[in-house]
Amino acid sequence: MASFGSSKELGVSTGELDSLVQDTEFFRSLVENGSDAIVSIDEHSTILYANESVERVFGYRPEELIGEKLTTIMPDRFHAEHLDAVDRYLDTDERELDWNDIQLPAEHRNGEEIALSITFEEHSYEGERVFSGIMRDISERAEREAELERQNERLERFASIVSHDLRDPIQTARATLAVARAGDEAALDELDGVFDRMEDLVDDVLTLAKQGRTVGEPEPVALASVVADAWETTDTGGATLVVDDEVSTVAADRERLRTLFENLFHNAVEHGGDGATIRVAALENGFAVDDDGPGFGDADPDQLFDYGYTTTADGTGFGLSIVDEVARAHGWSVTATTGEDGGARFEVVTR
Amino acid sequence: MTGDATVLVVDDEPRVCEAFELWLEETYRVVTSTSGEEALERMDGSVDVVLLDRHMPGMSGDEVLAEIRDAGYDCRVAMVTAVDPDFDIADMAFDHYVSKPVDSETLESVIDRLLGIGQYDTHMTDLYGISQKITTLEAEKSRSELSRSEEYADLVDRQQRLEGEMGDIMASLGADDVEQLFEVAAGREREE
Repeated sequence: MASFGSSKELGVSTGELDSLVQDTEFFRSLVENGSDAIVSIDEHSTILYANESVERVFGYRPEELIGEKLTTIMPDRFHAEHLDAVDRYLDTDERELDWNDIQLPAEHRNGEEIALSITFEEHSYEGERVFSGIMRDISERAEREAELERQNERLERFASIVSHDLRDPIQTARATLAVARAGDEAALDELDGVFDRMEDLVDDVLTLAKQGRTVGEPEPVALASVVADAWETTDTGGATLVVDDEVSTVAADRERLRTLFENLFHNAVEHGGDGATIRVAALENGFAVDDDGPGFGDADPDQLFDYGYTTTADGTGFGLSIVDEVARAHGWSVTATTGEDGGARFEVVTR
Repeated sequence: MTGDATVLVVDDEPRVCEAFELWLEETYRVVTSTSGEEALERMDGSVDVVLLDRHMPGMSGDEVLAEIRDAGYDCRVAMVTAVDPDFDIADMAFDHYVSKPVDSETLESVIDRLLGIGQYDTHMTDLYGISQKITTLEAEKSRSELSRSEEYADLVDRQQRLEGEMGDIMASLGADDVEQLFEVAAGREREE
């Protein structure tokens, strides 16, 4: 005969269990030590009770919160709205939002916002209305969701690139073929160039896809050496490279950093021409790459880093997107400005 | 009817202009321009249909379209482009949207249709353009994107209103004519 674990087998009689459950200590311990933070307030949003878990979630000891306003653990922008909403609820008894598992940001003691899932409860205690929030820190889940969303967007953009940015050269190839068939056979020679452009596009899109991944454990990398490597593998024609003595090391994934420099150099030569001088300089919080070319001119600085943005006929428009992806994967930021002598200047802030 | 029609081809890629001309010159008078600025110089009252690339260095196809409409030319314009149609096309005054790459058959059928629609009054051309945008967006966007778009909802409203106003004209045309005029763009199938 199947026998499910009865209270008898657990070594507690049914009667003992009942009395255990009725014991206030049991409940206190359950509430105090649960993984969710629990905060109760009165009608004036004054905190009446906070469990032990508030310390892990908000950085305050329970006794530091009790007696304070609930707005202590709310971002500023919600303060007025919260107090109004409580007043309205007390007046009308109408719930304006779902009380179950609602996602709201809260504010940690250190000022950072935390993503919470909150369930509200109301009960009355000694004739007073008490509102409790049972709060779970879902920052990690929210981050994972944001990361997934970012990846989805990236995939969508890749799909769009592959389907649409390749359409132009396909049209050109088809047109060139039609012209050749009509008698101008010399036009066929141009097809090599069209296919090269399509190949560049495919290569760049693949590079971009790889750069979007997060970096491995960064190691100290000597900038001068990675710059020299990148210069060697970029078709820089007669352009000149100047590396300031001050450039030192940066914590980075060396291969990815090299890709970043390669694309910046390629961009500088593309726009500055064979005679360009490109300078790598140290910044207080990173490094900068300058050239003495024509600068950004009419180019829209907001669009520079967009996928597929180019001002040259044979550019793929992905070079600076790759630079941006590498920087972001390292947690850096990159901005485009105009250099002292009017050329293009890219500043990479690494800390 | 089409024998003396004039088509202006605008594309920054010279080979594309040449090929379009090869494909179309037996049936129409063809004029080509490799830039937006040049296209506006070539533009005159004799042009019946413009095939307009969107992404061009200098003046873009979108800007050329706006200039052509501002100048009040009575011509039909088809965007012929590799650019993904987005909701911003709702505010653009073109009559047809064709995705590259295109072949000669597609071009000819689009031009024929535009010349056909050009014979009717502006209500008809308006309705045609709006229906085109709806079709283009429906082929490109997901159901949920469409349902969230104000531009799309507005287009559908305008389509219904115009259809209501035009009930009589439509009736006089006969079902076949209407179907032929508003058939989904040549070479482009509805995805759903």
